[in-house]
Amino acid sequence: MPTRDLTLAMVGSGGDGVVTMGEMMAQAGARDGLNVIKVEAYGPQIRGGESSCVLRMSAEPISAQGDAVDVLVVFNWADFTRFKGEVVPKADAVILYEASDPTPLAEVKIPTATNATWIPVPFVDIATKATGTKAAKNIVTLGILAELFAIPQESVRKAVEFKFGKKKAAVLEANLKGFAAGREFAGTLSVDTSARKLEYVIRDPKLVMTGNEACAVAALHAGCRFFAGYPITPSSEVLHFLSEWLPRAGGRIIQTEDELSALGAIIGGSFAGVKSMTSTSGPGLSLMAEMLGLAAMAEVPTVIVDVQRGGPSTGLPTKSEQSDLYLAVFGSHGDMPRIVLAPTDVEDCFHATVDAFNIAEETQLPVIVLSDQAIGQSRQTVEKANLVHEVVDRRTPNAEELADYKRYAQTPTGVSPMSVPGTKGGMYQTNGLEHDETARPASSHVMHEKMSRKRFKKLDFVEEKYPLFVHLGPEKADIGIVCWGSSKGPVEEALKELAAKGVSVSAFVPRIIMPFPKKALLEYMASVKTLVFLEVNFVGQLYHYLRTLVDLPADTRVFARSGGMNLSVTEVKNRIESVLSETTVREEVRA
Amino acid sequence: MSSVVETPALPRFQPGDYKSDLKPVWCAGCGDFGVVSAMYRAMAELQLEPWNTVVVSGIGCSSRLPGYVEAYGFNSVHGRALPIATGIKVAKPELNVVAVGGDGDGLAIGGNHFLHASRRNLDICYVLMDNEIYGLTKGQAAPTTPSGDKTKSTYFGNPEPSVDPCELAISFGATWVARGFSGDMKSLVDLMVAGMSHHGFAFLNVMSPCVTWRGDDQFKVMKAKLRSLPEGYDRTNRAAAVPYLREKEVLTTGVLYEAHEPSLLDRLEGQRTNAMVGHENLTTEQVLEVFKPPF
Repeated sequence: MPTRDLTLAMVGSGGDGVVTMGEMMAQAGARDGLNVIKVEAYGPQIRGGESSCVLRMSAEPISAQGDAVDVLVVFNWADFTRFKGEVVPKADAVILYEASDPTPLAEVKIPTATNATWIPVPFVDIATKATGTKAAKNIVTLGILAELFAIPQESVRKAVEFKFGKKKAAVLEANLKGFAAGREFAGTLSVDTSARKLEYVIRDPKLVMTGNEACAVAALHAGCRFFAGYPITPSSEVLHFLSEWLPRAGGRIIQTEDELSALGAIIGGSFAGVKSMTSTSGPGLSLMAEMLGLAAMAEVPTVIVDVQRGGPSTGLPTKSEQSDLYLAVFGSHGDMPRIVLAPTDVEDCFHATVDAFNIAEETQLPVIVLSDQAIGQSRQTVEKANLVHEVVDRRTPNAEELADYKRYAQTPTGVSPMSVPGTKGGMYQTNGLEHDETARPASSHVMHEKMSRKRFKKLDFVEEKYPLFVHLGPEKADIGIVCWGSSKGPVEEALKELAAKGVSVSAFVPRIIMPFPKKALLEYMASVKTLVFLEVNFVGQLYHYLRTLVDLPADTRVFARSGGMNLSVTEVKNRIESVLSETTVREEVRA
Repeated sequence: MSSVVETPALPRFQPGDYKSDLKPVWCAGCGDFGVVSAMYRAMAELQLEPWNTVVVSGIGCSSRLPGYVEAYGFNSVHGRALPIATGIKVAKPELNVVAVGGDGDGLAIGGNHFLHASRRNLDICYVLMDNEIYGLTKGQAAPTTPSGDKTKSTYFGNPEPSVDPCELAISFGATWVARGFSGDMKSLVDLMVAGMSHHGFAFLNVMSPCVTWRGDDQFKVMKAKLRSLPEGYDRTNRAAAVPYLREKEVLTTGVLYEAHEPSLLDRLEGQRTNAMVGHENLTTEQVLEVFKPPF
């Protein structure tokens, strides 16, 4: 029986073309309307070195990268061992490896692959014979994979044509020969891969993008016309994309000397009346803590995308972790209101970023979009039709308000009309100092209390209007998972598998962390028996933060572990099964 | 015969129009009073529309200045006037942007921003009020405090050498660098007018005595040391400025360096104009096309 869901992994050295191959297959899948998730991993080298690419293609909706892979392509076993534990083949995986690899097969130990089909392939030989260069071995591999697993053949061939179409005719011809040679080689193999042949109906093409790109497009969509940023892994793609597209859209972009200048510059840009954004990762957000306070105090709308990586300090720059929650929620001195959103996947990066602009403009507060490397840099298919989102603009003063303009006028919502430079009669001199309604410095305790109340009142409005969360699974359940960010994907898939086994489990995934949708959480807590937190950070930051907001049951279970490895579906299932067995034991004891 | 005497039309804005009704917190005799007065006059001379003008500062005694100017103002956080001013000017180039602050604010905590704002050559006039001390925090050594001086934080004398802000600005790439004295109003107004009119990053270091922490006679001492640049001084020669900036016994004021180079905005505008060709009225839908498989 063919499959509707296939996960492939490719491992090699720089120059093996692993990443190019993955990208071409992902594009081919998207062209055929398949759902695709692609994740890359690299060694620490700046150029070259080992790289891996895991690609999942499915005719059904998917929300996580595949845990264990159906097909593994290894150009070099030495490189494969560097990804130990990260690329895991299924028990009955098909493993294709370079026939001339110096590492003897006997030395290759893959404990999970108990029943695998091992296929030695002379990748280099085939490529050299067909094209004259071993560089084409990734194209040969595409031919083999297309033939063995029925991955979109026609589209893959078109991808090859597109890739080499702009080069000399001979180059294109050679690569097409390589592709054909791969398919031909696959035809000579006497292995049965029918169970892994991908079966699907061709549909309309989908878009393929990363979470970082989705944040960048969302900024353009929301009307952002000024961006200032400092390069940092894993967020730089936001800067890269906007350096091309923001000027095209009539906006302006600068690369600043550090992250606090970046936030400072966008505070300036937004003060001047232009929607502005910056993006960074944890170390940058640490530097921005000072400016966050200024944005809150001067009430300047600002959007900060934080693509989290492993911390503290330099930490794990290329790997994901959900450990900036405390910093985002509590960072910066003083009583400082801010908004924190947490997108759950690539598409949600778009929505969360537009929401961030809307909320920033509506409340004149800094809004942090807490993305993470696992979604920021993973490439996923997205339906274009889903990328629509209403845009809200700033509340500027009307003629009547300008007649006696008070920048920080007390209002029922705490939001005061914000005049922009260029407006006659709207002049004010704003301040990081505590100030009165007219922005004049004021250090009386009475005014401080009054203005603190005004600034925090704005959060009530947000909590009311933006109770953003996702409830997965049944309305009532024995076990209720609380997770956030990129963990939503694996939890969603685990839930389906667990439900199929008859396990009663649901999940609550907040998409806004500050102000937290408390009412929704309390209602959710009433719908489940045991609460289980799953977090990719060592201390359980969401759990501890929520304990300051609501009384969580004493028997709440917290599974928090450091990042560096994304949450997997298997891990979620194992955690839930362990809770189930404990609960059973407890109930038996009680009985 | 009668002669017609033409009365010149009064300029639209008088210096007093730029004065806000907020009373300065500065000590009596503070040099910064001279600086803010010179700014009112310079703005009037240039007829800057207050609502199209933004004065930005960091933190310190002198950084209170934006509150005293009737225009848009932003008294931000310590050392960060230039990043904020940069954002304002890049996002909205039609605004007149003036950044102000003290020597601690601009050279210590904000030193890195000074380097990069200078090199970007953005159309901002940056007025640094240099009193060689931290005044607001009550008398600690600053980067411009002369070596050996006893201050609250250097009980046994300042062990560090001082820096000259103009030398820094010239080497960082500012295209207009001048030194003035807050007790020399006429020259100071002229310098501000020239600095605010300059195309590119204009840096004006104003010696602005602190009567509270540097002694009552700092004014007199500076006034006595005051000299103008000699006739025939070549302000297009970077190296020519350095000897004047290293003088100890005299204080030379005037425009030390001036160059005419494209500003960051010129470069950004050029790129932007080209980039927009073929993308007029760009929609999200059009941007999303780049994510479609291209084959």
